[in-house]
Amino acid sequence: MPEAVNKTVEIDVRGQICPSSLLTTLREVNKHKQLLRCGTLQLEILTDNHDSTNRICDAVGNMGYHVEVLDEDNYYRISIVKLAVKMGL
Amino acid sequence: MVDQTAIIVISAFLGLASGIIMHRSDFCVAGMFRDLFLFRHSPLLRSLFLLVAVSMFLFQTAQLTGVLNYNLPSSLYGLPALTNLLGGTLFGIGMVLAGGCVVGTLYKLGSGSLPAACAFSGLLIGSALYGEFHPFWMQLTQATRLGDAATLPQLLQLPPTLVIFILLLMAGGLLYQWQIKGLLVRPNRIKGYLQPWIAALLLAMIGLTSFTLLGMPIGVTTSYAKIGALCENLMFPGHVASLSYFQSHNFSYFLPLSRQTLHAGAGPVWDGLALVQLPLIAGIIVGSGLSAVSMGKFNRCFTVPCRQLLSALVGGIIMGLAARMAPACNIWHLFGGLPLLSLQSILFTLGLFPGAWIGSFIFARYIVQQ
Repeated sequence: MPEAVNKTVEIDVRGQICPSSLLTTLREVNKHKQLLRCGTLQLEILTDNHDSTNRICDAVGNMGYHVEVLDEDNYYRISIVKLAVKMGL
Repeated sequence: MVDQTAIIVISAFLGLASGIIMHRSDFCVAGMFRDLFLFRHSPLLRSLFLLVAVSMFLFQTAQLTGVLNYNLPSSLYGLPALTNLLGGTLFGIGMVLAGGCVVGTLYKLGSGSLPAACAFSGLLIGSALYGEFHPFWMQLTQATRLGDAATLPQLLQLPPTLVIFILLLMAGGLLYQWQIKGLLVRPNRIKGYLQPWIAALLLAMIGLTSFTLLGMPIGVTTSYAKIGALCENLMFPGHVASLSYFQSHNFSYFLPLSRQTLHAGAGPVWDGLALVQLPLIAGIIVGSGLSAVSMGKFNRCFTVPCRQLLSALVGGIIMGLAARMAPACNIWHLFGGLPLLSLQSILFTLGLFPGAWIGSFIFARYIVQQ
């Protein structure tokens, strides 16, 4: 039975040169793979780039995670969690 | 007498529209080439393909109906040489390291990007530096000249309309396949996002308007050299006066609005190129800024790793140099020369691929911190 999310890691890639937002996100997803897969960790990426937001969602979504974009003040917050956690399984 | 006000207004309007369109769609040409090598997947490159194909159709139709009247080679697109390929390769490296091409840098600068400000400074430095070895580069260009044909139809000795018709048939087939498979549409998760394929169509229309009214496709880099020379002139006026590159006025073009041929150069003076390009540059920056503010996404983040800022500066310098060596930038060649089947532009575009590959390798290995 999956555990509930009890830790959130925030990665701020605002203002950076493309494609470092996507490369950094993929690196962080890989680094926290175990906790993300067992559903106890949520990754939050802060970015201000339109295309990176789409690319991150595509890439991480294809890896089997649930991805959600929140439009914050002057940036986007991309939340990445295990798919089953979001579905309440 | 040239009505300068009308030209400035038209050019600024085209810049404003381009800035808004590019910002809303994130139409990053550097990213299109870079992602092909970095991620083996570049969905935005299809939009660039669409832009080139539509521009080809529009330019040729305008030529056949008498709306446009041009003959190559001219100052716009000259005879091909190996230096076009070398310039394209160097430009490809520079644009990936800078995080945007010559107009990508402008629209990112307009939306408040700090790396884009570094890249812009680099572009001015690189463009001015070229003046130091312009005579040598011209000799090399003459020595590596690849014949007397300026365009693909001239090289093949076939009518331009026939060659363009065949190419458009092939491009149309490919675009139709992409459209059926939904590959031209990007996921839309952002409010205010403009689909890149729509941006491509609008930018092709802007290119046609610029060519028809102002006598040239959109381009900005000679004016980067002008601004760079102006800054250098403040510190070393004697040196700038001694450089042949900044003294020549060998760029000439026909301005349809006033039915006059204008002469211009890269020197720090107000001339026919400054008249068209400076309002365009200002328009792109302002347009992008307005777009970012209206979306509530004007960047206020200045905590960018120093390594990335340095990369943007160095990339800008390389890109500024390459844009003069090629000669001209990616926008001039991709949005204007490629649709006209200029051999210079074809060589430049071919050079962009290995350049973007080298740039992507350097970026992933040395710039993104592990």
